[in-house]
Amino acid sequence: MTATTAGPGPDDTDLSAADAARALRLLRWYPRGWRARHGDEFAELLIAEFAEHGPSRRRALNVAATGLRARLAGAGLAGHPLDPAAAARAGLATLASCVAAAGLARGVMWAQLAIGLQWSVPGDDQLTQAMDLMSAALLVLAVLAVLAAAPVAWSAGAAAAGGRGRRLRWPAALVGTGALVLVAGGRHFANGWPGTGGHLLVHQGLVPGGVAAFGWAATMWITSYWAHPAALAVFPPVQLAWMVLCPAATGCLVTGTVQVLRRVELSPRAFRCEIWVAHLAWAALACFLGGALCWLFAADGGSAPLFRVGAIDRAGLVVLALAVVAVAAAARRASAAARSSPAGAARR
Amino acid sequence: MNQAGEPSADRSAGQPRPRADQAGALETLGRSSGPASLILSSLADGAKHGYALTKDIEVFAGVRLAPGTLYEALSRLEAQGMIEAVESHDRRRPYRLTATGAAALSTYLEAQRKVAEVGLRRLAGSWALA
Repeated sequence: MTATTAGPGPDDTDLSAADAARALRLLRWYPRGWRARHGDEFAELLIAEFAEHGPSRRRALNVAATGLRARLAGAGLAGHPLDPAAAARAGLATLASCVAAAGLARGVMWAQLAIGLQWSVPGDDQLTQAMDLMSAALLVLAVLAVLAAAPVAWSAGAAAAGGRGRRLRWPAALVGTGALVLVAGGRHFANGWPGTGGHLLVHQGLVPGGVAAFGWAATMWITSYWAHPAALAVFPPVQLAWMVLCPAATGCLVTGTVQVLRRVELSPRAFRCEIWVAHLAWAALACFLGGALCWLFAADGGSAPLFRVGAIDRAGLVVLALAVVAVAAAARRASAAARSSPAGAARR
Repeated sequence: MNQAGEPSADRSAGQPRPRADQAGALETLGRSSGPASLILSSLADGAKHGYALTKDIEVFAGVRLAPGTLYEALSRLEAQGMIEAVESHDRRRPYRLTATGAAALSTYLEAQRKVAEVGLRRLAGSWALA
């Protein structure tokens, strides 16, 4: 078989700098890895197309669409070709991101109800049942988080012990810092939890006080007070500092976790375990969403003010619904990519 | 290429023999199976780079593949081992068919030919067309 090229394109000397610049602009639709692999040849093809047919909106749209698909594939959400092991790890990292995003939405809704249940008697059983469902789903998700973290921590530890942990140092430091700040700050501010002075109602047993207090402290920064600076200004400076520090710590924790998942060498068995956990997490997320929807319908029926669904809760419901869809897609893609990779998700 | 989908001797030298389960792999490309069959058909007579592929496909199929579509399909085919990049000092990297790709293309085209033959025969019998 010969390696000669048939039908040479337009002469390089005829190509204008404008066409080259236009091609480079279009290339930005693609992720960095794709550009490193195909960038030069793709730019040459685009320049040849420009020289022959001139710029075209349809062509630009085609490049944008396929570039975005490649980016989605990089996140494990589309079937664009990638190294199967990289695609599997990308799917896992996206799973973690989606569960984290859903976690914030869950935390906000659940903490609000937890506070409400310390101070008010719910108007109907539907709200209590919704809280039951949401609390159970949250408990399952917490257990699943531990199950998911164990093989990753084991693999990261093994890599570190084998002298291959250098690329994991920075993400691990982010995870450690984020978790430390969240736990220390959350526990500190939990002491000022409004529920502390609440009435000891019968239904209080639904929510363990310490957990609810931590949930309140960790999601305190997700509030409509940001839209009312005058009201925010009367908050104690330490609390304001926490409301700024807490999202930064959450960001560190999530970013570090995603980077660890992208870099860690998981054995095929550990990866299969992660996929199982992901499927269970999807089911738990769907249950939580079901509970949140029950709350939405119950609250719209005229519950006490503390149980009313606000704009942030509605936004949280949207995030949660999107996360449920994205987790399902990422789990499916990661699973398919792992199956097509002979060595599973293990780094080549 | 013979009828059984085996690469002919001059093209298979030094290349791994395709597995039977890879022969129908073109169907697994989903949305890209159309562009993929065009690309593989174009590469069947030798290596070509992106622009040459576009021009060749336009000539023999009357279809002009958009650049994004072409490279999406090229990436998939390369990931599935049906084509491979050829070393080149030029920025325009050529691609060539592998034995796996040749087998997959042969199987795909055989299936298409059967469909075409049945369709044309029935058209000729019932509508006096073709």
